Amino acid sequence: MELSELFIIALSAIFINNFVLMQFLGICPYIGVSKNMDSALGMGMAVIFVMTMASMVTWLINAFLLQPTTSNIFYLIFSPQEPPDLTYLKTIAFILVIASLVQFVEIVVQKVSPALYKSLGIYLPLITTNCAILGVALLNLEKDFSFIESIIHGISAGIGFTLALVLMAGIRERLELAPVPKPLKGIPIAFLMAGLMSIAFLGFSGLKLN
Amino acid sequence: MKEILKLGGILMLVTAIAGAALSMVNVITKPKIEEQKRLVTQRALVAALPTADPDSIEAVTQNDQLEYYIGYATAAKKKIVGYAFIAKKYGYSSEIETMVGVDTTGKIIGLKVIDHKETPGLGTKIEEIRYGESSPYFQDQFINRTIDNIALDKDNGEIKSITGATVSSRAMTESIVEGFKRLEQKLDGFKKPITTQEQVN
Amino acid sequence: MPISNEFFKGFYKENPVFKLALGLCPTLAVSNSLQNAVGMGAAATFVLLCSNVIVSLIRKGVPKKIRIPIYIVIIATFVTIVDLVMAGFAPDLHKSLGIFVPLIVVNCVILGRAEAFAGKNSVAYSFIDGLGMGIGFTFALSAVAVVRELLGSGKLWGFPIMGSGFEPVLLLILPPGAFLTLGLFVGLFNWLDNKRTTA
Repeated sequence: MELSELFIIALSAIFINNFVLMQFLGICPYIGVSKNMDSALGMGMAVIFVMTMASMVTWLINAFLLQPTTSNIFYLIFSPQEPPDLTYLKTIAFILVIASLVQFVEIVVQKVSPALYKSLGIYLPLITTNCAILGVALLNLEKDFSFIESIIHGISAGIGFTLALVLMAGIRERLELAPVPKPLKGIPIAFLMAGLMSIAFLGFSGLKLN
Repeated sequence: MKEILKLGGILMLVTAIAGAALSMVNVITKPKIEEQKRLVTQRALVAALPTADPDSIEAVTQNDQLEYYIGYATAAKKKIVGYAFIAKKYGYSSEIETMVGVDTTGKIIGLKVIDHKETPGLGTKIEEIRYGESSPYFQDQFINRTIDNIALDKDNGEIKSITGATVSSRAMTESIVEGFKRLEQKLDGFKKPITTQEQVN
Repeated sequence: MPISNEFFKGFYKENPVFKLALGLCPTLAVSNSLQNAVGMGAAATFVLLCSNVIVSLIRKGVPKKIRIPIYIVIIATFVTIVDLVMAGFAPDLHKSLGIFVPLIVVNCVILGRAEAFAGKNSVAYSFIDGLGMGIGFTFALSAVAVVRELLGSGKLWGFPIMGSGFEPVLLLILPPGAFLTLGLFVGLFNWLDNKRTTA
């Protein structure tokens, strides 16, 4: 595997296929937690962390429990004639893993670093239903990424999410003071801003990376 | 502790029921899904090799990897009418996958895009059929060409690129050239042996 | 409250997308054509209906502490069923909706209804609530899709509608168009609300 390939995956996940602005993943927290900069940063960090962990764990689950290969654990234990194809269980397996992972991270962070828990803690429960996390796991599978590629994709998707979130928070803090027509206040204007940012990010898709 | 075990047990039970239900659904849908996948390939092959007998197209594999397809004129599989290969290249926002058919002299006789997720309204024009026509105009340009004259107008070739979708047009064109070269190598060139076989039959 | 209210609240008063700002990801992602929107709406409605009924049926036996994981398992099961059936019987739709089919699992409308309604109400009410919310969701998706498809590609349900002189506003089909259209729709609903309360 070449370093340049990993670089391309990262760049593409952050800018060209930005999770929020180009692939519409994680819109709920994007609109919900972008009212001020501090919470945007907190949420962003929590998402980067969980996404990276989720990419690793779901990759392992998929490779050793779901895929019909000879290294499938069920095949090794029960040794049926053919390795079982359990890929149809991926949605249920991934969402359960992500939910328990988030819970686990919450407990560990609380024990290890109360300070970190104070800043990230409140965002963690929200992350389970953040479709960007399940989305990254499913995309890793769809794109047939290797273990390392999945991790890089996870981290950079998280960075891309944080970038979009922080940019938006910066704009919305100022928007509070702007004379916005009353029906457009709040969510509608946030969407219109997201539209303009999405136009800006559209410019990245012309990049030729190979 | 007892409570945790009880809750864990309930959750296990629910998951087990869910798993059992899904495996039943899977048994029903699995053959259907596989059939659909086979149909996609089959339709693409028929489009790529219009002169071949649809049921007599054979896949050639090496180490479990698909290399190319051979199309025969009849079910007897004596006369080869052409070969088909899958061309792939990343376009603007997705990998463009095309099934391309060439005859025994190395001339493209048919092609069909199998998969892509290019920009709607721009990149999707690689598949667009204009009003009153029956086949996609962009793809039609490849028919009857040999490897020597497949290049985009922007690269001093003759294939007219789609306005606003140069990247998609170029990716598809280049993927076909690359696939073509690979096929030529595998077949050891489009030369006499194939035609002599035809004459023998 | 009469049961018909539970059905109709999903359209306007508690429209999941325009009023409650739930289920935004699929609304943005698959609203580039009416066909996709209706397909997604139908899939989500099916899941919502089934999960609401099951959650309501077992609501008395579910321990409070683990209700969310149980709801998630139930929802994920129905999502997988939809995913498999769609792949087998409507492969084109399955392909164009892509990962947004399995992502119905994390559609907050569905978990939201399980938690806020079906876990507390009878089966009949939960069924109607699921149906109303599902149709409301489909309606919102379709509304956005009609605007985007009609103006963005001059077509509706894949058929060319606008004459040959019409120059499509390509931006609307692209990702920014989704944000802009949805933003204006939510604004429109707010405006209608303001007018009703002041009138």
